[in-house]
Amino acid sequence: MAAMEKVSTPRSGAHTVIGSSIVIDGEISGDEDLVIQGTVKGKIDLKESLYVESSGVIEADIETANVEVSGQVTGNIAASDKVELKADCKVVGDIRAPRILIADGATFKGNVDMDVKGGK
Amino acid sequence: MAATSGIIGRGTVVRGNLSGSGDVVVEGRLEGTVALEDRLTVESGGKVIADVQLENLIVHGEMGGDVVAAERVVISSTAKVVGDIKAPRVVIEDGARFSGSIEMDVKLPEGI
Amino acid sequence: MATPDGTTIIGESILISGSLNGDEDLTVRGRVEGTLTLTRTLVVEPTGTVKAEVQVKNCVIAGVVVGNVTASESVEITKEGRMVGDISAPRVIIVDGASFRGRIDMGEVDVERAERGSRPALRAAPRPALRPAAKAEPRKAEEKTPAKPSMPPAPVAMGAVKRKVIVKRK
Repeated sequence: MAAMEKVSTPRSGAHTVIGSSIVIDGEISGDEDLVIQGTVKGKIDLKESLYVESSGVIEADIETANVEVSGQVTGNIAASDKVELKADCKVVGDIRAPRILIADGATFKGNVDMDVKGGK
Repeated sequence: MAATSGIIGRGTVVRGNLSGSGDVVVEGRLEGTVALEDRLTVESGGKVIADVQLENLIVHGEMGGDVVAAERVVISSTAKVVGDIKAPRVVIEDGARFSGSIEMDVKLPEGI
Repeated sequence: MATPDGTTIIGESILISGSLNGDEDLTVRGRVEGTLTLTRTLVVEPTGTVKAEVQVKNCVIAGVVVGNVTASESVEITKEGRMVGDISAPRVIIVDGASFRGRIDMGEVDVERAERGSRPALRAAPRPALRPAAKAEPRKAEEKTPAKPSMPPAPVAMGAVKRKVIVKRK
């Protein structure tokens, strides 16, 4: 499938990067791509793409257009477009998105619901 | 700029109410109250222990007292100032020692 | 952009509400509310707004900060910076054009203070005053008093300190 432009080069497209030593306990919202290399507890609500890099640890419910997880996520993920779990990631929680990709090597525990607006 | 109308020299101590127009330079010691229409300059050896009201204030030396300035207050890198300052513009240079409050007009965006 | 050596950037459209802690530099172009604690440098860019209690090593404010800032090294408010809150730091720089309202505490600043209602602490006798050039008014009485170690007539209990000017001729 055609990789989205933003997905293939997350770093150069993203304007917000939460570095690896950062710990946020609260809510994050915004209209742009977000790269997380640190720890976020709480809630994430984005209109664009979320990239959880391998050092990233998220304990939060996530609502966004796109998610790409290489790190750890504990929480429910709701994406209007796509959720991608890459190798070596660890996700515990329910995922709801029209498109879901789980790579070989990913660890996932939870429910999957792809029936968003009838998309498959 | 107004002409320098007064210099309080290095060995001089003035105690009292100082007022008037023209610039005043303090190299010595000034205590009391100050009400000037123009500028007060406290040179690096100077000390002003007074509440002051003026247009401009430049401190290179010591100043203890409250300041109300119509234009600007500059606390330079060699200055030591203790007091509350109210002015539209206040400059604190790197190295200055200051303790007190500063009140400038701060325009904050809506929704703060 | 990529974090070279750990630089976090909060983009313009991002809002973070809660507590943020970190061991790296942080640049805020969006909005952070709550508490912000860093062991390094916080830069609030002109589009950035921080409405929080801030505790950092260094802080450069070019945007809006509402809240108290405690810095172990320095705080600088640039020309575009606007801050309302108290600053506690050993070095504070306020550039001409900045806006600030609040207290500044740099630690001990040893300066005699004009106390309202009490005389300024005069210890040793000040050097005898000379210099007619001193624009000293009102010269109520040109007393030739020897420089007294303490203030002449007792402390006045009001704002306007009315004292005689002492001019001593050597």
